[in-house]
Amino acid sequence: MVKRIALVQLSSCWGCDQSLVDLHLRLLDVLPELDIVYWPAVVDYKLADLEAMPNSSIHFGFVEGSCRTKEDEHLLKVVREKSKVLIAWGSCSAYGGVQGLGNQWTIEELLDRKFMKADTITDPRIPEENLPGFTNHIIPNPEIVKVDAILPGCPPTSDNTAEALTALLTGKPYDLPNKTVCDQCPMERKEKIIKKFKRTHEGKIEPGICILDQGYLCLGFATIGLCGAQCPTVNTPCKGCFGPPPKIKDHGAKVISALGAIADMSPDELKAAFPDPIGSFYFTDYASSYLSKIRGKQRSEAKK
Amino acid sequence: MSRDEKTIRIAPVTRLEGHGELTVKLTKAGKVKDVQFNVSSTRFFEKFLEGRFAEEAPRIAPRICGICPEPHHLAATKAVEAAWDITPPPAAVKLRRLLINAKQYSSHALHFFALAAPDFLAGPLGDPALRNVVAIIKALPDVGKMALEVMQFGQELAAAVGGKAIHPVTSTPGGMLNPFSEEKRDEFLKRFEKAKEQTLATVTLAKKVVQDYWDPITKLAVTPTYYLGMHDKGNLEIYDGNLRVMDPTGKIVADFKPKDYRKYYGEYVPNHSYATHIYYKPDGYPKGIWRANSLARCNVADKMATPIAQEALQEMRDALGRPIHATFAYHWARIIELVQAIEEIEGLLKDPDIVSKDVKLSDVEPKKGDGVGCVEAPRGTLLHHYWTDEKGIITKVNMVVATNNNIAGIEKSLMDAAKQIFEDKVHESLQLPDPMIK
Repeated sequence: MVKRIALVQLSSCWGCDQSLVDLHLRLLDVLPELDIVYWPAVVDYKLADLEAMPNSSIHFGFVEGSCRTKEDEHLLKVVREKSKVLIAWGSCSAYGGVQGLGNQWTIEELLDRKFMKADTITDPRIPEENLPGFTNHIIPNPEIVKVDAILPGCPPTSDNTAEALTALLTGKPYDLPNKTVCDQCPMERKEKIIKKFKRTHEGKIEPGICILDQGYLCLGFATIGLCGAQCPTVNTPCKGCFGPPPKIKDHGAKVISALGAIADMSPDELKAAFPDPIGSFYFTDYASSYLSKIRGKQRSEAKK
Repeated sequence: MSRDEKTIRIAPVTRLEGHGELTVKLTKAGKVKDVQFNVSSTRFFEKFLEGRFAEEAPRIAPRICGICPEPHHLAATKAVEAAWDITPPPAAVKLRRLLINAKQYSSHALHFFALAAPDFLAGPLGDPALRNVVAIIKALPDVGKMALEVMQFGQELAAAVGGKAIHPVTSTPGGMLNPFSEEKRDEFLKRFEKAKEQTLATVTLAKKVVQDYWDPITKLAVTPTYYLGMHDKGNLEIYDGNLRVMDPTGKIVADFKPKDYRKYYGEYVPNHSYATHIYYKPDGYPKGIWRANSLARCNVADKMATPIAQEALQEMRDALGRPIHATFAYHWARIIELVQAIEEIEGLLKDPDIVSKDVKLSDVEPKKGDGVGCVEAPRGTLLHHYWTDEKGIITKVNMVVATNNNIAGIEKSLMDAAKQIFEDKVHESLQLPDPMIK
């Protein structure tokens, strides 16, 4: 039976959609199984069409992006209502995404920088007409509505999305693995004794050898193994864009605690090596960290 | 809204990367009072890049756009290199050129087949349910298959050089983290001939579309604006060069190094869009509204950088002149650039330096300073400007992304089209072909 699917974009980069399109010829196998009832990136149905559908009439809702605007929140709630199964598709949807790093500041500070203070601005003002307005901070979608599954990744690989879709279509279970990027990584590993961390522009990363062993911060050890170790395979440190394995609740906290064990360095030396812990230890999932949530709560209380 | 007004709202504008809505306000007499292109989201990258290690910017900034992450990856790298006074090895620059051309190729193919072609193949008055690439694949399987293969070649080449096609990772201040292997080079050389054939078949298809839609192309939304684009000694260029501004009469009014952009770029904040309107500052807003992207580049460049693309450009100029203001000619220009991209890819794949191991400096030192990195993204001139402290931490960012160079121009051409349609009912007299999909 052909299944009705909606693919919904909140504030995001479109990369999850591009990744789905990147199935290319394999799309020809998937498409006949699907009736696409909403996908603004590709198909011409409008929001009013989605709003007019009966509740739970869509078999699979895939929602990518996170709620940066009030329109995003509305759309998320609509697709939740209309879908039997809702998937938080991609790291923005699952964890808040890279824009979650904006939670370090208040929305007023963000608006001020972009619309009032940017170097080239000649007519500063904050736009308001026929526009939705912003959320105060990024909250991951699973904390706003109930989602039935998450498929993280920035973006999820084409294979990841194809596997999830196939599982849904055949009614098979789809569980995220508890393995890490290191489990998928072909680099040779030795016992780690790191005395100094190097930044990526320093020296040269030697191919074939564990990047973390070489003293570069590679977050594969704390990151879910779904991507096939794409970055370390091409001599580039993992930045953790797929988020942690399911059993780890706070990605950055895990990284920090592990570094104490991996590095032969004092807490002060570690602190000096990473003057921007939020940027170094979180990437697409700062909005889902304890730290961001505490800040968000403090700000909401301060506003009251 | 007063009672004698009617508002038409299209929400969302579909087949668009990003979030946009369209508002058309009509008076009771049916006159077009206002047209707004409401870009309804933004994510504040220019703020949350502050405080980060500058060498991480090439990892973070690509997330601005999932269709064109390669230009962001490279603009970010170039901005840091400019701030730190670094010149990467020549072979690294060749690899980056291969990367950006692979992206130009796949993005232009995606834009043509998935975003634009549905309008032409199903017809502007066709059933909305058929106006998409999925319907094209079903109705015209040969065209659909070719479209997918053309996109695939570009995306897989980008992934081979950049590590991942969607959010590439290998470019870093001082060069490239991963050399291109001979094995990969040979694989793409083998696949290349078919890609080139398919590119030429795409040109044939695009020419048919142009012929079929000659009436709307030459009559609807022919909107004079300024144009912005990169060139290298007059040749159309997308990785590194000077920027030119052409005025609506076709005169080059500025030719400058990207680092001097603040003298020429004005950024107007409209009340109805989160995407700002970039314009030619010396002539003020709205007079100085410019457009970027394929047609703008084809207008400002004297010629294409490669021979077959140059023939294609000459054909467009013979038909439409220079400058070309016809908004629909953007699609034609995009196909001309598709040809340049495949010819550039050919030259780079056949260059022995492309497999050089000498692609990364090992003695890069951060310093306090600021730098501008500018490339051409598929949809227009992209500019990143970073300030860093002595440790190489970002203290301030300004970004002018491709789309913002086009928003005011899009609105202007939508205003022209709205007046033609609502006031002059031009759509009733335009000659349209019989749709290929119905």
